[in-house]
Amino acid sequence: MIRKLIAAGLAGTMLVGTAAFAADYPDQAVTIIVPSKAGGSTDTTARIFAEVAESKYEGFEFVINNMGGSGGQKGFEAIARAEADGYTIGMNFTPQMVAHVVSGRADYTLDSFHIMGNVAQDAGIVAVPKDSAIQSMAGLAEAAKGGDLTVSVNGIGSDDFLAAKAFEKQAGVTFNLLPTKGSTEQKAGILGGHVDAAFMNLSQMIAQHNAGDARIIAILTEARDASADQIPTAKEQGFEVYMSATRGFVAPAGIDAGIQSKLDAMLADVLADPAFKKKTAASKIALLPMSGPDYTAYLQQLQAETQEVYDAAPW
Amino acid sequence: MSRATVDRLVLAGFILLSVLLYLSTDSYPGIAQKTSAKYVRFLAVCLGGLSLVQLGISLLRDGREDRLSLTEHLPRFLGLIAALVAFGLSFKKLGFFIPAAVFIPLVAIMLGQRNPVLITLTTIGLLAFVYLIFIALLGVTLPGPRF
Amino acid sequence: MEYLSVVFTLPALLTILIGTFAGVVVGGMPGLTATMAVGLLVPFTYTMDPTLGLMLLGGIYCGAMYGGSIPAILLNTPGTPAAVATAIEGYPMSRRGEGGLALKTSVVASFTGGTFSVFILLLFAPLLARQALNFGPAETFLLAIMGLAGIISIADENTSLIKALLSGILGMIIAVVGTDDMSGSLRYTAGLVELIDGVDFMPALIGLFSMIQMLELAGQRDHAPIDTSALGGARKRAKLPKGIGKFMALGSGTGTVIGILPGEGATIAAFISYNFAKQVSKAKAMFGKGNPEGVAAAEAGNNGCVGGSLVPTITLGIPGNSVAAALMGAFIIHGMIPGPELFTIYADRTYPFILSMFVANVTFLIIGLAFAPYLARIALIPPSVMVPVVCAFAVLGSYALNQSVFDIYLMIAFAVFGLLLKKLGFSLEGLILGLILGPIAEGGFSQGMIIGKGSPTIFFQSEIAKVMWLIILVLLLPPLVSHIRRLRGTKAR
Repeated sequence: MIRKLIAAGLAGTMLVGTAAFAADYPDQAVTIIVPSKAGGSTDTTARIFAEVAESKYEGFEFVINNMGGSGGQKGFEAIARAEADGYTIGMNFTPQMVAHVVSGRADYTLDSFHIMGNVAQDAGIVAVPKDSAIQSMAGLAEAAKGGDLTVSVNGIGSDDFLAAKAFEKQAGVTFNLLPTKGSTEQKAGILGGHVDAAFMNLSQMIAQHNAGDARIIAILTEARDASADQIPTAKEQGFEVYMSATRGFVAPAGIDAGIQSKLDAMLADVLADPAFKKKTAASKIALLPMSGPDYTAYLQQLQAETQEVYDAAPW
Repeated sequence: MSRATVDRLVLAGFILLSVLLYLSTDSYPGIAQKTSAKYVRFLAVCLGGLSLVQLGISLLRDGREDRLSLTEHLPRFLGLIAALVAFGLSFKKLGFFIPAAVFIPLVAIMLGQRNPVLITLTTIGLLAFVYLIFIALLGVTLPGPRF
Repeated sequence: MEYLSVVFTLPALLTILIGTFAGVVVGGMPGLTATMAVGLLVPFTYTMDPTLGLMLLGGIYCGAMYGGSIPAILLNTPGTPAAVATAIEGYPMSRRGEGGLALKTSVVASFTGGTFSVFILLLFAPLLARQALNFGPAETFLLAIMGLAGIISIADENTSLIKALLSGILGMIIAVVGTDDMSGSLRYTAGLVELIDGVDFMPALIGLFSMIQMLELAGQRDHAPIDTSALGGARKRAKLPKGIGKFMALGSGTGTVIGILPGEGATIAAFISYNFAKQVSKAKAMFGKGNPEGVAAAEAGNNGCVGGSLVPTITLGIPGNSVAAALMGAFIIHGMIPGPELFTIYADRTYPFILSMFVANVTFLIIGLAFAPYLARIALIPPSVMVPVVCAFAVLGSYALNQSVFDIYLMIAFAVFGLLLKKLGFSLEGLILGLILGPIAEGGFSQGMIIGKGSPTIFFQSEIAKVMWLIILVLLLPPLVSHIRRLRGTKAR
């Protein structure tokens, strides 16, 4: 009780003390909450952004705060709860962000955030072991008929999981679904032939595909990917399954409009910067710039679609 | 309390825990029934079973009534725990450096250190070291005011 | 040869030196892990020359794995979970005044394990990586069981076998808290966001070892002085015990093999090597009371994982543990996507990187040997100074790993509850082993059950699995037999 009172008192004084005004913003470093561990692709995106933004904007300093684990939920909650003073923003990744809402695990909703815009995407793929008899999506559907084709996904409620569910529905089959702790386990499973197929992301498997250690049978986007244009889409093979992970920036809702527009404009500016493009390309990050309103619409639609999948077969 | 009594209480607690754990696995959804639930039930059975055996052994062998003492010097022991909790409580608002600058001399004095030069040097040395490693080298974000 | 000349340039040597030294410091501080240091420094290497950047991180990895053993030996506060086994033998040695010898044994063993594993990495990486792929979830489960078998060998006169097992199971139950990977549902998190990802083993490690040690020191009526007579001797050249090379070789081999396999290898490797050593040793009774053979095996074991874990990382892009995963991030940032390309297009960076790890091993060998006599004196610092300093690090370390104040309370709770358990004769080593290996065992079990379509025969099917069951039996039977014999002995008396 006393602790709460003290905390409330301190919070009160803080509000008065640091009420942010657009004019003298920023007078301290801006924290970027990254809801994944340091060294991963989301983290790399944030750090490249911070580096380029600091070099372009005098007076701005960014601090990366990694809050990994639990499919990003810890980090998303932290962004939603952060003080809306413009000194904390964060990254999101889909579809986990909306999946947590849909499955009722999250305390936040999409309205807890101001969506600043999207940066990158990572297309969904279907991979099989290199000596697998499965050559195409039709082959996958055929092999899954018996109901005991082991297919790995990266955790429940992840993009892979949703894509696998969507495919199951279209092909009228049921996989023996294997949730893993991450793409590392998925890769080991495919390369070692322990699973029959895996729903993953392009960046996680493209090197192994090119080296002939595994085979990607389909990419789950509307059109083929420029960097891997020999891989056919699922659509070409007669299955309308689309999935790609997006990574963008969000801020807690309720930041002073002047400050928020400053941040939004900075994001758009950095995304168009050649240095940013060069650095992300070296790290094999596929850019997909989307403005705040566009990305908000995308997220809302994604949430609605995810809700449908969840209602049909809750996890 | 005697050592044997506390031991039996802890074991009884484990048995209760194992029963609750076993029962809770019924509510695991879908796929987890075939996988995680089996694993957790196995753990629960092991915990409960082994605790029962150990409890039985303990009851059969009438315990030597030696008192269980967690520490020889209770004020210092409790003082250190209290200081740690206070450190934890102030961490969120004040960060590391300010509480540490109070905590280290305080605990040192509590434990009977009377050399002011040594205490000061230790405190400053530690703060500088942490600053170098955490802030300067690794760039870890600590809460509280920035320096 | 030309790759060697890349390593032996001034900037390169300096980078390796800095990296290794920083690694030793990071590994030595409870709460700072190699994973964290490498992860945080990966972005820092953006601006560096790629080869130098990788050398820096490689140095940190090598140094940190060794560094964990220093506080484990001197203060009974292992800096990394992989050093828990080292503390079991190293700290009693330190109490006897043989800290210098223990440190020396540990650094030579670390060097042996580290160098051997890098040799394997250099010569056989692609070949071994293929073999490691045969290792599926079922085998991962068995590997965790193999590590857990170490609990049985922890039991001794102070800890009954049943209590040691109970400790391990309790640890595994604590590890159950958090998200269920199979269903995505939350188990026993009590609505706390901090527990969604489960109980991290780092606050537990700090609480159960560093903090308990400090609480005991603080609560001592008068401070039992360390036998300082041997310290003087330590400054003169304390000779390594005879026949210890066998245990280093044992640890190096075990560590390298386990490092190549998926999962958090170092802790398992250290415990399995320790366990092997206990079985092989002629001085079995000395184990648990400060046997340098145990230190040698455990340290060679965990350092053997360094090279081993990089085998699948750079050849297949499947990191062997979390440090290797962070290191892989550094490769990717520089456009070096793990796979065959690393040995063709990027050979001029990959080979110098591997060679630089030899230099890193030599560096910490020199650091360790040079400083061991001075470090050993740390054990002489009065508790009134030691306790507040270590406590401050413990609080900071608990916080830093997940940047969560909750972990500080968790650490304190583990310390208080752990002290009670320790006084009652439970084994804290067993508890932490269960906590670390529990999730690996659960993941392997659950995935194995799915791949095996619900039939447990999958755990006995493959050739590897059969061999592993054999090893588990070999590890379990002798201690069990001797326990039963001892039980009979006490009854007869």
